[in-house]
Amino acid sequence: MAEKVKLIDVAKCTGCRSCQLACKQWNQLPARQTSAAGTYQNPPDLQPNTWTLIRFQEVVEKEGVKWLFRKDGCMHCTNAACVKVCPSGALYHSDLGTVGIIKERCIGCKECVAACPFEIPRYDSVTDKVYKCDLCLSRIRADLPPACVKACPTGALTFGDKGDMLKLAYRRAGELGGDASVYGDKFVDGTHVLYILQEKPGVYDVLPVKPHVLLSVMAWKDLLKPLSLVAAGGVLAASFLHYIIHGPKTPDEDDNHKTEGGA
Amino acid sequence: MKKGLIKATDAFERIVHWSLAVSCLILCITGLGMMFHSFNFIGTLMGGLKSLKYIHNFSGLFFILAIVFTIRMWWKEAGIFSMPEDLEWMMCAGGYLWHVDKVPEVGKYNPGQKAFFLAVAFFGVIMVITGLIMWFPFYFPVELVRWMYPLHALGFVVIFAFFFVHLYLGTIGSPGSLPAMLHGWVTRAWLKKQHAKWLREMEETGKLEVFGEEKKAAHGH
Repeated sequence: MAEKVKLIDVAKCTGCRSCQLACKQWNQLPARQTSAAGTYQNPPDLQPNTWTLIRFQEVVEKEGVKWLFRKDGCMHCTNAACVKVCPSGALYHSDLGTVGIIKERCIGCKECVAACPFEIPRYDSVTDKVYKCDLCLSRIRADLPPACVKACPTGALTFGDKGDMLKLAYRRAGELGGDASVYGDKFVDGTHVLYILQEKPGVYDVLPVKPHVLLSVMAWKDLLKPLSLVAAGGVLAASFLHYIIHGPKTPDEDDNHKTEGGA
Repeated sequence: MKKGLIKATDAFERIVHWSLAVSCLILCITGLGMMFHSFNFIGTLMGGLKSLKYIHNFSGLFFILAIVFTIRMWWKEAGIFSMPEDLEWMMCAGGYLWHVDKVPEVGKYNPGQKAFFLAVAFFGVIMVITGLIMWFPFYFPVELVRWMYPLHALGFVVIFAFFFVHLYLGTIGSPGSLPAMLHGWVTRAWLKKQHAKWLREMEETGKLEVFGEEKKAAHGH
């Protein structure tokens, strides 16, 4: 199947949180009691049972206050650090370019939590597993849009083939003008969730300006991981060569006749 | 046990050695099961990768105990190089790699063994610290946690490679060595070849224990 992309037009978002609710409904993620924290943002952060969240910000400007809504959730990277570090294959790249998750395989090692440049995966200590959005893979396979897209009443969310979505995104960003930009296609080899941001990326909470697979992840998985086998294999080969070329280090004349050390 | 064999290690030393060896081996094998998808089957053998994770973590606790005893026990004997004879030994690679007419005599541990001990001690401690932080990552800042994984992998690279050196030189690469860690009794010829200085010291201080003989000058000092 062709690569799919979810497009988030933050300028069209009214912060109604239909997407948040639809996500919970479709994925059967019951809400937890929260308390008022003086912000519209609720729950306060992504949770093991909250895979998408409208982040709410008040930005004070010269004339008045501006409200920013950003739907946060998994970005479905092409070069996904979480997939790179996952030891069990619970996190994987689907043929649609999205990052799927097989709950049964998750061993709760939390390695993806530290690796994700967008701080998305959430660990649940009760089930000892990690959870995140899978872009409603089961719905996409049934030719349905993700639940959040289906529920969005303003058209802030659209879903479709990667090429179409990219075209749409750049056209819309051009229309918006000013600081508007497309966010997502230029890093981690392209994300499968794209934003049309009205403000500069740095304005939005928790959104990295230049997300990338961390150096620590690359040192670990691209360098040290293969090196561990290469080094051990090298030692084994060297030992073998030593044995057949130089020979073992044996004691000289044996006082105890020919005893190969005890026994 | 044959008459005339010399005691090289006591039971405590061997227990500590094998505690470290067994826990280290379990950690290496289970660690490989998590590091490479192609080794995930090791988890299947242990009732799933999640069980393997727990075996890895709890073996780690046993490893902590073993590494503490290892360092306490061998620090003075194997943790300090004695110059210049150790340097001379290293300059000729202990006669292991090319022909050397006269390899400098060494005590209980040669510089190669000392280097191995130091690597195991240093990276063992690194493995413990990084491993514990990886086990409980939410108690630490994420910037720190992120670097624990490559450090843990680096420790594995060093320890895993050294393990095979140790395996080779403890068995077929140096015949007569293995009994020192099995029952503790080695031949005089092996001691003379491998640890001549130590043999002499034991003889001089009366600490030499020969199988089937009364300990000579038991009240050495």
